[in-house]
Amino acid sequence: MELAQLKSLEADPQLVLARFSPCGKWLLGASYDARVRRWEATADDWAEKPSIDGHGGWVTALAFAAAGERLYSGDSWGQLRCSNYAAAEKPAPLWSVPAAHDGWLREIAVSPDGARIATCGIDKRIRVWAAADGAKQLDFALGDGPAFVPRNGSLDGDAACLRFTADGKSLIVADLKGQIELWELDGLKRGRKFDAGVLFKYDRLQDVGGVRCLAVDAGFQWLAVGGTIPKNGGSVTGVPTALVFDFATGELKHTLSFGQTTDCYVSDLAFHPRGFLVATTCGTPGSGQLIVHKPGDKEPLFSTKKMANCQSVALHPDGERLAVVATNSGSNGNGRPLTKDGAYVTNRSPVVIWKLPA
Amino acid sequence: MTSPQLCRPWEHAWSRRRFLGTAAAATAAATAGLSGGLSDGLSGGGAAGLGPWLNPAIAGQVEQKRKQVVFIWLDGGMSQLESWDPKPGTLFGGPFRAIPTSVPGVHVSELLPKSARQMHHLAVVRSICTKDNSHSAGVARIQRGDPKNRGVTYPYFGSAVAKLLGPGPNNLPPYVWIKPGSGGFIHQDAGFLGPKFGALAFGDGKPPENMLRPESLTDADDDERNALRAAANRRYANRRRPTVNDASSYVYDTARTLMKRQDLFDTSKFDPKDVERYGTHELGRHMLQARKMLEAGVTFVKVNSYGWDTHGDNFNGHLSLACRFDQPFAALIEDLAAREMLDHTLVIAMSEFGRTPRINGHVGRDHWPEAWSVAMAGCGLKRGAVIGETNDVGTWVKSPEFDIGHLFHTWFRCLGIDSKKVEYDNRGQPLPLAHDDCQVIQDVLA
Repeated sequence: MELAQLKSLEADPQLVLARFSPCGKWLLGASYDARVRRWEATADDWAEKPSIDGHGGWVTALAFAAAGERLYSGDSWGQLRCSNYAAAEKPAPLWSVPAAHDGWLREIAVSPDGARIATCGIDKRIRVWAAADGAKQLDFALGDGPAFVPRNGSLDGDAACLRFTADGKSLIVADLKGQIELWELDGLKRGRKFDAGVLFKYDRLQDVGGVRCLAVDAGFQWLAVGGTIPKNGGSVTGVPTALVFDFATGELKHTLSFGQTTDCYVSDLAFHPRGFLVATTCGTPGSGQLIVHKPGDKEPLFSTKKMANCQSVALHPDGERLAVVATNSGSNGNGRPLTKDGAYVTNRSPVVIWKLPA
Repeated sequence: MTSPQLCRPWEHAWSRRRFLGTAAAATAAATAGLSGGLSDGLSGGGAAGLGPWLNPAIAGQVEQKRKQVVFIWLDGGMSQLESWDPKPGTLFGGPFRAIPTSVPGVHVSELLPKSARQMHHLAVVRSICTKDNSHSAGVARIQRGDPKNRGVTYPYFGSAVAKLLGPGPNNLPPYVWIKPGSGGFIHQDAGFLGPKFGALAFGDGKPPENMLRPESLTDADDDERNALRAAANRRYANRRRPTVNDASSYVYDTARTLMKRQDLFDTSKFDPKDVERYGTHELGRHMLQARKMLEAGVTFVKVNSYGWDTHGDNFNGHLSLACRFDQPFAALIEDLAAREMLDHTLVIAMSEFGRTPRINGHVGRDHWPEAWSVAMAGCGLKRGAVIGETNDVGTWVKSPEFDIGHLFHTWFRCLGIDSKKVEYDNRGQPLPLAHDDCQVIQDVLA
């Protein structure tokens, strides 16, 4: 398989992630400067439109309603917002919850019927909201209930990723210790577990790794999680790894290793409708990969190291394009690297659009 | 093939025999005249002697209550932006918020909620600007105070304090170092002061293997055994320079003192409430042990934490690192204040540098000596003070910059030592205690 690079957009400062809208006409980026960047598809290009403002810290999570041009966005200060992402001018919020979480909101999931959204944050809470108006419906923690077995101190229960199941009745919740559980929302009962403990290491004082991204295929046959098999904390090195579980049984079926310890994290994952996984990696500055891999195969269908420090990958709904948030080269350096005119500047995120073969 | 630069396992193994053996090493070093040997000389003061360790020259400057120091070293570089100098909502500010502290108008990172509640005891300098952005040079340069180069190796701050203040009346070692990993007698810290003033390091806070006196050995037998050793020492000393025997005896005496202080090492007997308050993790245990050491009268306690070099995944890294610093640091400050020990105990928490404002592609921050922060408390420092200021985005210092030399002068002042008058006497070579061109940071003094 060969992918062709179509276009590279530029975001300054960096983006946490980017996602295509369900209609495919918009590409939205979650930025370090509290904005949601918007690019609209034109006949042969992408044109940047006024950003969605009003967040604090970093915008850290984006999710779309399946219909209705609604974007749910979350930030590192805990705010959850709903906006019309396709508004011609600067979109005003349809509703917002300023303190949906006490701090960093990690991820947003939308229920299959679009009626509910779920969020998780570093306050260790998982919350379910009415998609229509942001009214809180459920609030619980991974630590709730007698079955919870804490590991290694204070960050236990720090959920990083979540998804609704196909019937919308349960949440798949993965945390930064490599624990993945199903939670049945009616009565908050724990269900099946998936063990991704290899993605976590307690190194000196530091919790390293955990589940950093999660994807399920359209038929809910496979659950894939990404992260690293950590070697050490501090600068953090480890082998970027995706674990693919049989969703029905919880059995680990495939362990996909995507490089060396300097390649570090699988930063994002997506299942393509044709059954293969698309993954990005982000390692020591300069190292990043885009990988297309069919679970069960020994070798990837495609991989490239052309982009540095890939933060996210998004599939276009047409199944023919994808967008990778990467990082400019030379992003690191001790001391005071200055531009020729003496400025100390931020790093940037090239957003690279790729075309998949038919 | 083993790299000659890598240390070997046996270099970290430590036992009573090995510990006592360092006496021989100290002796040998002194005999060979390494880096100034064991000269006890200081000049510049003028007071009567207060025991064999406290130099008469500075005794008059030391206040009636004994000064002590606890020095918390966060090796690798804590991010100032994720700790004492947050810039939320700015270009380089990162994802975290700032929170109010017990001092109105002063904010710190949300990763330090417990320390925020102790801010009224703290003095934070946010305008540190140092020279070195590498660990290999930076750690030693900072801990030695980065004085002007005079062809000698300056002592680490702990060794300097051991030299200047001595061990105190209980004769516990004046400079102990609680650290992860292995322990040992780290004579290199002492530089030209000579091996006697090195650090006695307790790996994971544990005493040397077999250090504690066996229960089967009675006091009388132990005294008899030590009398025999003392006699042998005297015979040995008669044929050598006094300073040589001084170092040798010091190590033995220290060992003997420690043998009687099992309470400092038996963590199972620590108050469970304290253990919970400080945290059951490594740094929590070590900081609690540091408090015990201070209470026992140790002059200088250094506590190390490693793993702060967050070039990658800085923000998730600081989420766990900073909270595991915050908990025991706040507990220590609270306890020292409650025991009225903060009046005479200087608390310092710092790294070799801060971290870059710019966030690299690995979502990390690199090394940044240009504008960073040091947190301190006690011993004549202002309480609830923030000194100095960085610009709006945290890239540069916009108030007067302070180098490590300024901090050394300030710390010596807190300890009752006028570093502009007192000098080391390195076998006739007068050497200033700290960088000649730096001064006390007056604004931080109470």
